[in-house]
Amino acid sequence: MTAPLISVRDLRKRYGGVTALDGLNLDVARGTIHAVVGENGAGKSTLLKILAGVVRPDAGQILLDGRSVAMDSPAAARRRGIGIVYQELSLFPQRSVLANLFVNREPLRGGLVSTRTMREMSEEILDRLGLRVDIGAPVSRLSIGEQQLVELARVLLQEPKLLILDEPNSALNKQETDRLFAVLRQLRGHGVTMIYVSHRLEEVFAISDRVTVARNGKDVMTRDRKGLTIPEVIDAMIGAHPETLFPPPLPPERNGETEELKVLDVSGGELEHIRFAARSGEIVGFAGLEGAGVPRLFNILFGVAKAKSGGAVYPDGGGLPRSTTEAARRGVCLVPGDRKRNGLMLDQSVLFNISQVAVGAMRGGSPLFSKAEARIRALRQIAQLRIKTRSPDALVNHLSGGNQQKVVVGKWLEIAPKVILLDDPTRGVDIGAKRELYDLIRAMSAEGRIVLFSSTELPELIGLCDRILVLYRGRLVGEVAGRDVDNRMLLHLINTGETPNQHAGALS
Amino acid sequence: MTQVDRSSRDAAASSPAGRAASSWRLPEETGVLVALIVMIAVIGFAKPRFLNPINLFTVLGNTTFQGMLALGMVYLLAIREIDLSVGWMFNFSAVVAALLMVAGLDPWLAMLCGVAFGALLGFVNGLLVITLRLPTIIVTLGTFSMFEGLSLVTNNGRPINPPDPTGSYFTLISAKLFGVLPVVAIVFFALAFLLHILLHWTRFGYRVQAVGSNPEAAMLAGIPNSLVRLQTLVLMGAISGLSGSLYVGFRGAIDPQEGSDFVLTVVAAVIIGGTPLSGGFGTVWGAMIGMLIIQVIASGIIFFGIDATWSTFVTGAVIIVAVVLDQLVRYQRQRRANAQRRWDG
Repeated sequence: MTAPLISVRDLRKRYGGVTALDGLNLDVARGTIHAVVGENGAGKSTLLKILAGVVRPDAGQILLDGRSVAMDSPAAARRRGIGIVYQELSLFPQRSVLANLFVNREPLRGGLVSTRTMREMSEEILDRLGLRVDIGAPVSRLSIGEQQLVELARVLLQEPKLLILDEPNSALNKQETDRLFAVLRQLRGHGVTMIYVSHRLEEVFAISDRVTVARNGKDVMTRDRKGLTIPEVIDAMIGAHPETLFPPPLPPERNGETEELKVLDVSGGELEHIRFAARSGEIVGFAGLEGAGVPRLFNILFGVAKAKSGGAVYPDGGGLPRSTTEAARRGVCLVPGDRKRNGLMLDQSVLFNISQVAVGAMRGGSPLFSKAEARIRALRQIAQLRIKTRSPDALVNHLSGGNQQKVVVGKWLEIAPKVILLDDPTRGVDIGAKRELYDLIRAMSAEGRIVLFSSTELPELIGLCDRILVLYRGRLVGEVAGRDVDNRMLLHLINTGETPNQHAGALS
Repeated sequence: MTQVDRSSRDAAASSPAGRAASSWRLPEETGVLVALIVMIAVIGFAKPRFLNPINLFTVLGNTTFQGMLALGMVYLLAIREIDLSVGWMFNFSAVVAALLMVAGLDPWLAMLCGVAFGALLGFVNGLLVITLRLPTIIVTLGTFSMFEGLSLVTNNGRPINPPDPTGSYFTLISAKLFGVLPVVAIVFFALAFLLHILLHWTRFGYRVQAVGSNPEAAMLAGIPNSLVRLQTLVLMGAISGLSGSLYVGFRGAIDPQEGSDFVLTVVAAVIIGGTPLSGGFGTVWGAMIGMLIIQVIASGIIFFGIDATWSTFVTGAVIIVAVVLDQLVRYQRQRRANAQRRWDG
């Protein structure tokens, strides 16, 4: 009776010389949530694109209800009851929430688009998602998390038999994720089958019934979630042991006294009276929900945003930088959260990008731009950071996410910065590259630089940081030292702004 | 583990040989240069008189003044902006230089003043752009008319004719070497060379392309965006001033409306030359060739005995064709790159 709703048999797909899928199999039982996990490049996205009818496989079969079907086009997939929520939002930012929910399927009344019908149709679903926003407002005014829920609502309105979610919670905060999961469980109760693609393993474990791990275009493991452990999954994903993911601290290189960055009572934007100190040789982690103010703090420390009051003392004795140019010249650097938008010039070469700071920001030296020097610079970082690129002349756009991030880091290493601000540097980076970035962060710290590191992934903060400072609604609410951190207490602090022992009863 | 192995091997394998193979490409300008030569050849085949050096060099001389503006406009497009006021900066600077000559200033000094005055106008544009945080196209839409108005006030709506057009300035600027090659064309060429070096081999040029490529990322890399914008607009102003002052020396007068219709031709030349509107890259040589293409069309049409007004139409058509061809080349290149690129998930 539990014949799978959808089965994928020996799916193969090559792009040019690159094998994306190499005989992948998948059986998704009716009414279950089936997680597909794997590194970037494992074939997840290609699988999704094939199921969505966007890409055609070279070989293999898709069986829906036991019958072989061809997904020739996105329309065909939709007709067969397959709905996909993509990771990259496909909303029209200038149009209203309502208009976005009914793109191309606007209900008509007397030949005209009926807003009233749309309102009635969408009410229940928005309610269920807990999305309480002005549905007449343009989508661009919503937070990314809310936009993601709009996207989900749009797909749910088509009442799919099979719902495919591609990293649906990458932009959601804890509450939004919880709400999303509640909705997904409810949908499962109604008999909807789901494929859930993610690389956040904790969440995969929280929501799925069965887990398939893909690696190099093959399914290497499929198991029930019960009895499965995260280390086992990570093992399968990378084919190595997870202990190696977080490198141990390196012995500090002895070179002079420790330097210090002191932040004194900084307020501005949502931030209120932030005060802390960070020393060279330590990695200070920053955690907080969306809106807690971590990006703002980094922006103030880097001279992008102005502090309303308060100040700081940098290792060079100066205060808060007044501009990014001043920051760069004083050896302060920021690796921004959205590397494509804020860190890279995508239509330029690796060589061009790595010279961004050394040539673009610094003063002194020759007014000439030497391509030979730029090439030396690029080759140095390509070798040092192991950036995978055909040549320094390759466009950054053609690099994978992890390698792009290394370019962003590399451009700063060229000026040997004293203070390094890393705003969620591993977002959207595959595990192999993550591990390399961790090594790099450790090395930067051991070289005596002051490293401030923010992340949305707890294991990363715990595995890497000497101390973790938690921001909640613009206030610094706690500091947890690396060794005695426990996941639950840190989560509690991030989500409530209070340490659990203040409300010991509420926790249990 | 496969990841790591592969990446280290690739990093090691980015050998000099591999680089050499990928880094040698035909220059960006090859396409437009071939187009220009083909165009001259076709017209010359039909009307051999067109190939007479005197005629060809006249074509070159005619391109000079707008051509110089186009060279500067390359920087504007490279930084993802457009300066609409160039024509009136040209005119106003010329008027000021001519009036200084009328007032008895040495014409050579007056020319330098014209350049400085153009730079000042560019500085005004730049200050407005960075203090009001507006796109250059908006600010210069306003200063276009402001400069026009001020220029007309200054010259009372009449042509300015500097005295003594037999002085060294006027004779040299309007001279032709060996009887054919206009001196201004040599200046044009030299300026193109300088601006090419400035764009591709200096820190300033690097910054222009960086800001044009991604202003946000440039700012977050510590590049002083506002300063770079200001410098670019001052440069544009100074080039307009130079072009205007030389024009006075070349023609011996400046008409009140001269330059009013320059901007569209100038931008067209830059685009035909291969500088994309999307910023981040510019080709000075391309703009020069683009200007020549426009001039060749204009004079070629006269040779065929077609009404000269048609040249405007043809220029427009050429812009469209140039942009479409450019898109096609880009698309092909993108496809090739995508095929080589490791599939990302």
